[in-house]
Amino acid sequence: MKFVDEFRDTEKARTLQKEIHAIVGRLARGRSRPLQVMEFCGGHTHTIFRYGIEQMLPDGIEMVHGPGCPVCVLPMGRVDDCVALAERPEVIFTTFGDAMRVPGSKKSLLQAKADGADVRMVYSPLDALALARAHPEREVIFFGLGFETTMPSTALTVLQARREGIGNFSLFCNHITTVPTIKAVLDSPDMAIDGFLAPGHVSMVIGEAPFQFIARDYRKPLVITGFEPLDILQSLWMLLRQFDEGHCEVENQYRRIVPPRGNAQALAAIDEVFEIREFFEWRGLGSIDHSGVKMREAFADYDAERKFTVRNPKIADPKSCQCGEVVKGVIKPWDCKIFGNPCTPENPMGALMVSSEGACAAYFNHGYGRRSA
Amino acid sequence: MSGEDAKPLDALYPFLAGRPKDPAREEAALLASIARKAADSVAAKQAFFAANGEALLAAARAVAAVYRGGGKMFSIGNGGSSCDAAHFAVEFQHPVTAGRPALPAHNLLVDTAFVSAVANDVGYRHVYVRQLSAHGREGDGLIAFSTSGNSDNLLAAFAKAKAMGMVTLGLAGGDGGEMRSSGLVDHCLVVESDSIHRVQEVHVACYHILWDITHTLLADSRGEIQ
Repeated sequence: MKFVDEFRDTEKARTLQKEIHAIVGRLARGRSRPLQVMEFCGGHTHTIFRYGIEQMLPDGIEMVHGPGCPVCVLPMGRVDDCVALAERPEVIFTTFGDAMRVPGSKKSLLQAKADGADVRMVYSPLDALALARAHPEREVIFFGLGFETTMPSTALTVLQARREGIGNFSLFCNHITTVPTIKAVLDSPDMAIDGFLAPGHVSMVIGEAPFQFIARDYRKPLVITGFEPLDILQSLWMLLRQFDEGHCEVENQYRRIVPPRGNAQALAAIDEVFEIREFFEWRGLGSIDHSGVKMREAFADYDAERKFTVRNPKIADPKSCQCGEVVKGVIKPWDCKIFGNPCTPENPMGALMVSSEGACAAYFNHGYGRRSA
Repeated sequence: MSGEDAKPLDALYPFLAGRPKDPAREEAALLASIARKAADSVAAKQAFFAANGEALLAAARAVAAVYRGGGKMFSIGNGGSSCDAAHFAVEFQHPVTAGRPALPAHNLLVDTAFVSAVANDVGYRHVYVRQLSAHGREGDGLIAFSTSGNSDNLLAAFAKAKAMGMVTLGLAGGDGGEMRSSGLVDHCLVVESDSIHRVQEVHVACYHILWDITHTLLADSRGEIQ
């Protein structure tokens, strides 16, 4: 298939694999531990496991699977708020499909739907807006979830709603941001990560500039990376070449999609509709300053948090859950004492088991249940 | 990137532009957070005591019966709940209200040599069981604190206490877990919240009231138990 097969070419993969082994072999001399590379994005984690990339790598390099799965890191209390909103009789609650199964403290949106709540899966926030047009007697709420990648479409939908004067549409905003979260990982005292594969889709919106501080201030190289297997392998090779040649910078492997300056129109839409929250609570990572956005006062009429009563209860993850250590690379999923029993994708207890893009779910689904796997 | 182009990015990532946090905005957000959590805490207590008043009174009667019969209480928990177990024991041994008698209550985590020996040699599941074997008698009471209700070592201790003829009390959270369903706990009080903090806050209020009511129930037999 054009535009797919060329990014999954076996021969090119083998060539890159050889190069990676050669560089890691050189770097391993004099190192007491493997190089740790974090892929921040859950989409990358998914590709790494789907194509067995971790098995192609030499022992001297270790992938650390970051917190870049917005479904995974959504606090349970926020899911409870979704369920409470969805169970209001006047509400049609709309969401992307991957949020349907996320467990709240009592039930998921899917279970709320089974119990009679009007929860509908949509493919775009514009679908939610169409529902609001079609049902003026109902309140249509869209569950805005995701990183900078999905913020522009949500913002543009809100702007469209205002332009059309649609008053029965609102947004339950849970958008979060990547860059402060990478900073929080870097500032963690037990952080051992040597370099990053940065999220390609986020970068498509924000460009290269917001990542520069990572190379400049923390001396960690970073490569903006695409989502096909060759993208991952090439990015790893680029990152390793930086270690090998002794420099440290931000490189863009995903140039076919990511403009260096990002998308100005998308950024302008984000800026018009959203402002940063002072802090946002992440499941598995705790509170991170300026890591989420809320709607500006000018859009209060479209803000479900202002329009309805939203409790935002604080629900603790099980104390035995070690997601925070996994995302910092301190332990592997199989080191967590509840991994696989009782925490499974069917019965997720920790953030990283919630979605297929979460590191623990990826390990579980692809059979990496033990260290020897 | 030009100044105008950078504006949305600066707004999204203030730290990149060297902008410090806005103290006024941060304070407002933190105060809102405090108000919300305090309201949740109050609501959790009100809901618990509205639903569990009679059960708490029954638990206090059971503790009073232990003391009236010359028995003693043992308290256990893990982590923050072990602090509650310690607090419970102190309340009974060192009553802050003048005129109330000191009553025997033992927090079973104080002997670190014993606990570490059993944990190392046998397993953490047994750290309380073995102490109950050594010190417990029929007619004594055991109270355990757990936010999940599923702590293995507490459940093992309950099984031992029941087998020894002790009265058992449990303060749990969530759905009560196995503490509620096992049949090992004579008086199981469950704070039906999934927030560990809210559960423990209700636990503190609960055992303060339990202590107070127990002393009120014992007022008529003060001379006998002193």
